[in-house]
Amino acid sequence: MSGNGAGRQQNISQLIAETIGMEMERDPGIVFLGEDIGYSGGTFGASRDLFRRFGEWRVRDTPISEMGFAGMAVGLAMSGWRPLVEIMFVDFIGVCLEPVYNAIAKNRYMSGGRVAMPVTIRAAGGCIGVAAQHSQTLWGMLAHLPGLKVVAPSNPHDYRGLLAASIESEDPVIVIEHKDAYLRKTTEFPLGTEIPSGRYTVPLGKANVVRRGGDLTLATLSTMVEKSLAAAEVLQTDGIGVEVIDLRSVVPLDDATVTDSVARTGRLLVVDEDYLSFGLSGELVARVVENLGPTVVKGVSRLANPDLPIPAALSLEREVIPNEDRILSAARTIVASG
Amino acid sequence: MMGDTAGLPPEHTQDAGPACRPERATGMSNAPTLLDRYRLMVTMRAFEEACAQGIPTGELRGELHLADGQEAVAAGMAGALRSDDWMVSTHRCHQHAIVKGVPLEEMMAEIYERVTGLSRGKGGHVHLFDMEHRFSVTGIVGSSLPVALGHAYACRLDNSDSIAIGITGDGGTNTGQFHETMNMAAIWRLPLVILVENNHYAISVPAEEVIAGRGIAERAEAYGAWGRRVDGTDVDEVAVAFAQAVGHARGGNGPALLEAVCFRFRGHYEGDIDHYRKTVVKRRMREEGDPLTIVRRRLLERGEVDETEIAEVESEARGRVRDILQKVRETPGPDAVEAFRDVFAEVPA
Ligand SMILES: Cc1ncc(C[n+]2csc(CCOP(=O)(O)OP(=O)(O)O)c2C)c(N)n1
Ligand SMILES: [Mg+2]
Repeated sequence: MSGNGAGRQQNISQLIAETIGMEMERDPGIVFLGEDIGYSGGTFGASRDLFRRFGEWRVRDTPISEMGFAGMAVGLAMSGWRPLVEIMFVDFIGVCLEPVYNAIAKNRYMSGGRVAMPVTIRAAGGCIGVAAQHSQTLWGMLAHLPGLKVVAPSNPHDYRGLLAASIESEDPVIVIEHKDAYLRKTTEFPLGTEIPSGRYTVPLGKANVVRRGGDLTLATLSTMVEKSLAAAEVLQTDGIGVEVIDLRSVVPLDDATVTDSVARTGRLLVVDEDYLSFGLSGELVARVVENLGPTVVKGVSRLANPDLPIPAALSLEREVIPNEDRILSAARTIVASG
Repeated sequence: MMGDTAGLPPEHTQDAGPACRPERATGMSNAPTLLDRYRLMVTMRAFEEACAQGIPTGELRGELHLADGQEAVAAGMAGALRSDDWMVSTHRCHQHAIVKGVPLEEMMAEIYERVTGLSRGKGGHVHLFDMEHRFSVTGIVGSSLPVALGHAYACRLDNSDSIAIGITGDGGTNTGQFHETMNMAAIWRLPLVILVENNHYAISVPAEEVIAGRGIAERAEAYGAWGRRVDGTDVDEVAVAFAQAVGHARGGNGPALLEAVCFRFRGHYEGDIDHYRKTVVKRRMREEGDPLTIVRRRLLERGEVDETEIAEVESEARGRVRDILQKVRETPGPDAVEAFRDVFAEVPA
């Protein structure tokens, strides 16, 4: 089905709100908790109109009590409800990591499969010039914790499809929405602008090959997909074919799709807006090398935040966060070196 | 599960529950007799002792937190507590599970990490989960309370007159979750009872040195909630106060905070050398504050039962627990494959 079912000029935050509304209508067991999601319709507008439609018991403006309401989600889930929790900025998850990683993530396991935790956590991540405490992505840290699925969409089609799949999932899922995406029109994206009019889901754990190329595999996610596509366009004019893979989720990590690609290109560049060390980029490189053996893989490279808090000044932020220029030079270097 | 959940559930104004009341937890009658409570308390004591037996033999590794001395708090809940109420407990959880009706054998098997355990040995003693009996545990101090809050919220969403009981120790009342839970339960008038077992210590730290203000129960006032402190060694006192707390919460009046002051006879965990409490104090609390002795004496004073009947109750309860322990000991642990199961419900193809 084609043709922007959402129709009209819509931005990502509207698309998210509409998706949540569709899900809440489909499943009356969904309860939405978070700060400023009710009266205001969301700090980023991603819950507009839901309070009016579903009432205060299903769309609950909470006090600033992350630990309390994340723990509440555990009790709600055990009582048979499906909590959707908004953590305004993913940076704040530190406040409530305890219920997230000790209960939401582990209760299924610790109960021998007798307790389901169908909890979805939505949180805003990524750089838009808001410095060290409001710019992190943290998907690597969250992915490190067993029992959590971690999703980061890159385009309008996936913002809806991955969120719907996350809410529908019997497993706990953290969806990290990029702050840079919220206010952009769905039609402005370089990919995924076609939104089916009916409900659909995008399966969790299936990467998307968004551009074909034979010289280099570039694996990334979230807004870095666009930057990578722009860089790939430039590299094409240099005669370098870049295969761009949108991972879509960190857990499950679709290393099989990346491995298949690297088997052909021989080279892997991971572009990640998260911290460099102990994270997604190292994990993916390790898995691909393990899968293919060192002789098939001619080169690997990682471009990520070099383990620094994110600075406030734009001139400094540019030094820290991957951008099109640095993707270009990282790609050229790895291709040139053999 | 859910009725019309789109709007605000109707106000809960009833004092008692509906005409046809759900079953009591532990299969007890609406108004358990003192002898019923005594049977429960003897079972609890025997259960803890059966758990303790696994330590010297090496069958139980890790921490084991037993609650000998605190039986009156748990047994005081019988009667007012219903099987359709939710309970979220702490690391010192066995007695709470017993009063909630969790099957002793599956619980013991879980504590002994056997394949027949509640979680097939994957949870262990501080992670008991029994959804059928609406009971769960967290080993993180304070974290039981927000989970209970979630259950209480669900009770409102369900338009049911079930309530949630969140249990914590004195130490747990110093956590942020205690405040967050009291606050949210109060603003939304949720049917929640917070039961605080004040056994005077958080591991080695005396409650009176680390709790500001006049006391734990007094904190209820700040939230406009019902609050009361009782002698947690006296099962009758606990029963009366707990029934009031439950009535308050079930009646749609918001949260109730019940502080039960009691003694923990053993160390914080099995193996705790417990050097922070004086030997003389420890002896006195066993001599004067043993809730089982208090009930036994009261039963005889009232003349409703005699020594023989009491002895029968005791030996029957102890025998039952002994048989369970023996059966559990004959049961194997989980297969190796069990370690790899149950992380996720859905694994991509
Ligand atoms: C958040 C957290 N901090 C510390 C601990 C370690 N710990 C386990 S029990 C305990 C003391 C709890 O005291 P209290 O709440 O009074 O319960 P009691 O042990 O007396 O029953 C502590 C500090 C923990 N499990 N969780
Ligand atoms: Mg204590």
